[in-house]
Formats: sequence, C-alpha cells, structure tokens
Amino acid sequence: MKLATLWLAWLAAIPGAAHASGPNSGKDAFEARCSGCHAESGWATRVLKRRLPGDQAVLARRTGLTAAFVKVVVRHGTGSMPQIRKAELDDATLDAIAKYLEGPK
Amino acid sequence: MAAPGKFEQALQAFARVVGAEHVTHAAEARYEYADAMAPRDPASYAPRGAVAPASVEEVQAIVRLAGEHGVPLWPISRGKNFGYGGSAPRIPDIVMLDLIRMNRILEVNVEHGYALLEPGVGFDDLFEYLTANKIPLWMSAPAHTWGSVVGNALERGVGYTPYGEHASKICGLEVVTGTGELLRTGMGALAGSKTWQGFPYGFGPAWDTAFMQSNFGIVTKMGLWLMPEPENTVSLSMALEKAEELPAAIDALRPLKLDGTVQANPSFGNVIRTLATRATRSEYYQGTGPIPEDVLEKARIKAGVGHWNFAVRLFGDRKINAINAEKVKAAFRGKVSAEFQQSEWNRGEPLRNSGSPMPSLGALGVVDWLGGKGGHLTFSPVSPFSGAEAWKQYTLIRGMFEDAGFDYYGGFTAGQRYLNHITMILFDRSQPDMLERANKLFPRLISTAAKNGWGEYRTHVLWYDEVAGSYDYNHGAMRRWNEAVKDAVDPKGVIAPGKMGIWPKAYRKDRA
Repeated sequence: MKLATLWLAWLAAIPGAAHASGPNSGKDAFEARCSGCHAESGWATRVLKRRLPGDQAVLARRTGLTAAFVKVVVRHGTGSMPQIRKAELDDATLDAIAKYLEGPK
Repeated sequence: MAAPGKFEQALQAFARVVGAEHVTHAAEARYEYADAMAPRDPASYAPRGAVAPASVEEVQAIVRLAGEHGVPLWPISRGKNFGYGGSAPRIPDIVMLDLIRMNRILEVNVEHGYALLEPGVGFDDLFEYLTANKIPLWMSAPAHTWGSVVGNALERGVGYTPYGEHASKICGLEVVTGTGELLRTGMGALAGSKTWQGFPYGFGPAWDTAFMQSNFGIVTKMGLWLMPEPENTVSLSMALEKAEELPAAIDALRPLKLDGTVQANPSFGNVIRTLATRATRSEYYQGTGPIPEDVLEKARIKAGVGHWNFAVRLFGDRKINAINAEKVKAAFRGKVSAEFQQSEWNRGEPLRNSGSPMPSLGALGVVDWLGGKGGHLTFSPVSPFSGAEAWKQYTLIRGMFEDAGFDYYGGFTAGQRYLNHITMILFDRSQPDMLERANKLFPRLISTAAKNGWGEYRTHVLWYDEVAGSYDYNHGAMRRWNEAVKDAVDPKGVIAPGKMGIWPKAYRKDRA
C-alpha cells in the first residue's frame, strides 16, 4: 500500500490526552487526539472513503495497519494530512495509538 | 569526526535548558516542521532544528544562547498556519522555537470577560475549558480550530462572532525581546497593575500592535477579551444564484456594518468554496483547466447552493435581534433576487448552530478538491467595502486564477469598514506542472493587486518580501522604519529574520 493512500491521525490536541497508559490507553488516545478528523463522521474519513473500500476508511475499524507504518505516516504526513511533530504528540502516546490501530478489529 | 557546527552546538546548549527530549535535531526537524501544504519542495525551507520550551524563563535563556551562538530562532505557537506556511520558517538556516508546550490557560475572568493565555493554547483547548467549567463566555475562532488562539490573533486571523476581528480583542502582551529581556505592554508595564486586560493602551506609545505580524519580540502571554454568551442568536442565510448579485449584496450590508446592526463578520463564499467542502472536483468535471461556466452552473444547481453563499448572524437580546433581523431583511429586499432563510438559537439550547465556534477541522477538507496530495496557497487582498470595487477585485483575480488553469476559490469576509478577500489556490502537490503554475501566479497576484491599490493583510512565508515590497509609499518608508526598529531592539537579529519582509542587518542579504 502506498503511503499516499493512507490518512491518519489529525490530532486536535485535547488537554489531558497527552500521555497514555493502561489497557485502553491507545484507544483513548486515538479518540482524544485523532477523532477530530478520523471519527466515523470526520472529514478525513470522508476523504478516505473516496480512495478506499468499505470500512477501511474508518481507521478504528481498518485492518492491515502496522504500528511502524502508522508512526511513519503521523510523523511525515501523507496525502493532504500534515505531519504531527514530537512536541505536539510525544513518542509514548504515538506508540500507544499505533499499537491500537495495529491491533485486532 | 568533524566538530559539530554552530547549529548543533546551539541545540546542545538548548538541551541543557529544556532537556534533550524537547530538542529536535536536523534530521527530524526537516520533516516535522516542514510546510505541509507547500507549493514547492518543503525541504528547501525546512529548519535546522527545533527547541520546545515550557516556561518564559526557558524562552529567555534560549534567546540569549541563540544570540551567543549566532543562531536565529523562528517562533511558532502551534504551527497550524496552513496556506501561509504552516510551521515552516522563512529561511532554512534557523532553529524553530516551538511554543506548543506553553499551553496554560492562566486566567479566565468571567466578571470582566477576558482570558490570559499562553501561545500553545489551541482553540479546542479554550473551548473545552469554557464549556467544561460552564463559563458563560464565547471565544471566536477561524474556520478550523486546530491552531493557536494567540498565534491566530497575532497574525490578525478572522472569526465569525462579533469578536471576530481577533487582533482588536487583544489586551496586554508579555514579550521576550531579542536580547532576552522581558516586558509587558499596556497597563502590564505597571508592576501589580489591576487593569492589564482591561485598558489596552497604558501610558505613552502602545506597542501591542507592533508585536503582531512582526519579529520584534516573542509573545509569551496574551490577554484576550471574550464575548459574554448572548441570550439569543438569529441566522439569516442567503444563496445568491447569480454571481453578478455580489455587488448589490455587499452594498446592502455596508450600512448595517457601519451602524453596528450587524456586529459579526458575514462571509460571502463562492460556489467552489461551498462545493469543495462536499466533494472533489472530479465529481463535477474531469477535464483540465478551470471548470467551464456551464458545467459549474449545472453543479451549482444540482447541489442546491448559490453562486455566493453567506449568512448574517445577529447576537444579543432576543427582542433586539428580532428588530435587527427585520432591518437586515429590509436592507436586502429588492436589491437581490434571493430571500433569507431564518433560524434562531436561544441560550440553554445545544450550541451547535448557535454561532458559537465548535471544535472542527472540517474546513481543512477542501484541500482534497483536486485529489492526490492536497495543498494550498492563500492570497488575501483587502478590498474597500464597496460592491463595485469588490466586483472589480473578484473578476480580475478570478480571471488570473483561470488563466493559470486554476478554479477560483474565494470569499469576501466583511469587517466593519473593509472586506477581507480570502482566496485559495488549491493544487495537487504531486503534480509539478501545477506547482509551477501556482508559483508563477502568486507573485503576479501580488503585483496586480498593488497596482490597483489593494494590499494583502497576510501572506505565505515564501512571499513576505514581495508583499512587504508592495507597501511602497515614499519609496518603502514603512519597511525602513520597521528595519530601523528591528536593528535597535534585536541587534543580533535573533528573532525570525525575514518575517513579514523585515530583515535585521545581519540577514538583509537574504531578502528576495
């Protein structure tokens, strides 16, 4: 899959969501930091639906994502998604989000 | 192994101030702080590193160290200035001073209606704070809410409530100067002042505006007036089916803005601005060049939108809004063919559709208009509040967009005595031909506007010099003044060389 076909976390920095720990931390962090665009009704999901089949546009239900891929896309940006820098989203929280998106759906 | 260069040495020094985890070195900074919507290779103006302080004292220490190492700094608040360069600096040989960790809401004064904020506070953060604490004050916000409240106001961003001219609601700044000194403007210059966020001027010259769109200092705190929640809002929306009705609508609105009947900032958005929020261009047209007029008209009718779409929103007491709504309707009656669609919100109802900004990033979706890797450049000339003059500006600029093969995307946002004509060149960053055309079009827009007496209120980092150069009264007296001030207050040129075309002596050779 090409980088340009994948959109990921547009992170609308919500206070209190910066640090992740615990069993649901990745899910919580994804919902707090990424849902501004990647919720089911988010604009990034709408844009992805123009490019991907079915549920693949909804990242929380997408299969086949790897954590490494998620991290590269977040840090570098892809398509029309800007990159998210370390000062805005620390590595630990990004790790948690990436593992959550890699996990079973 | 070669000795580290001055940038790496400076970064190591900064790390001793903020901790190594808050310093980003060149290899990562080149993409983490690149212009995400760049009209050319973003690496060509990406920085050499970044440092993210958490306190005013750390900012002061970094500025002093930067001066000692001969390394300039480019301050950003949250770096979401999309279309104007995002988080990217004007020159690549620079270190980003990333203020996103300074994200405290220091005070919200309910009784007196203001907030004191650090630059890392986002619009989403402020909204959450106000709503979570049931504070009956509303913020104003631009189209997307990812960015910094402080950064947007300092760049003179625009929102859509009666407090939508954000720069005019700033009251009191705290500033770190190019020598690392700390000062407070306005009444804040009096230690222990009780009116720093109340009286905006202080004693003697008032410097707040000199720190907006400038490189004279680094703003570390900003006072901002917030609007008391109104009892009622009324929305009067209208879709003008013919492009030629724009002048009449603008002339109908002008007296209502002048006399204060309409205090918010209605924005007349063109048909493509509306369509681009719903679909990509390929759903309407698959050819090259701008969408032909007949195709666009069919798309407009199918979507059920106007050629110009706008809403006049009234904020205040219910009885007064009802009177003013009739006044607005009467002002437009007989001048344009369409009628207003009216809706109302009352205090206590859900905020959606109230006119209070809600966290939303939806506006960013328009960059997918052409598919591929979306990008955009924002061209923002100011127009007189005149239907005839706005029409002249619109037709001229639209023609130039279309001659260059782009769809015209734009709108006129009404200030009290001016119109902000905010247009976007939307492009696919994966198509070199499109980028080349955009890069050629942009300086032509600047020079053509200037020849007609129109200046830009804001621009992309790559064209600071061209826009600053267009402000040429008395052979550029304003630029000479700005640079005389710059050299006096920041003799080493530490802060943002080239910002708004203001170059300190040591970097003046870099002027475009």
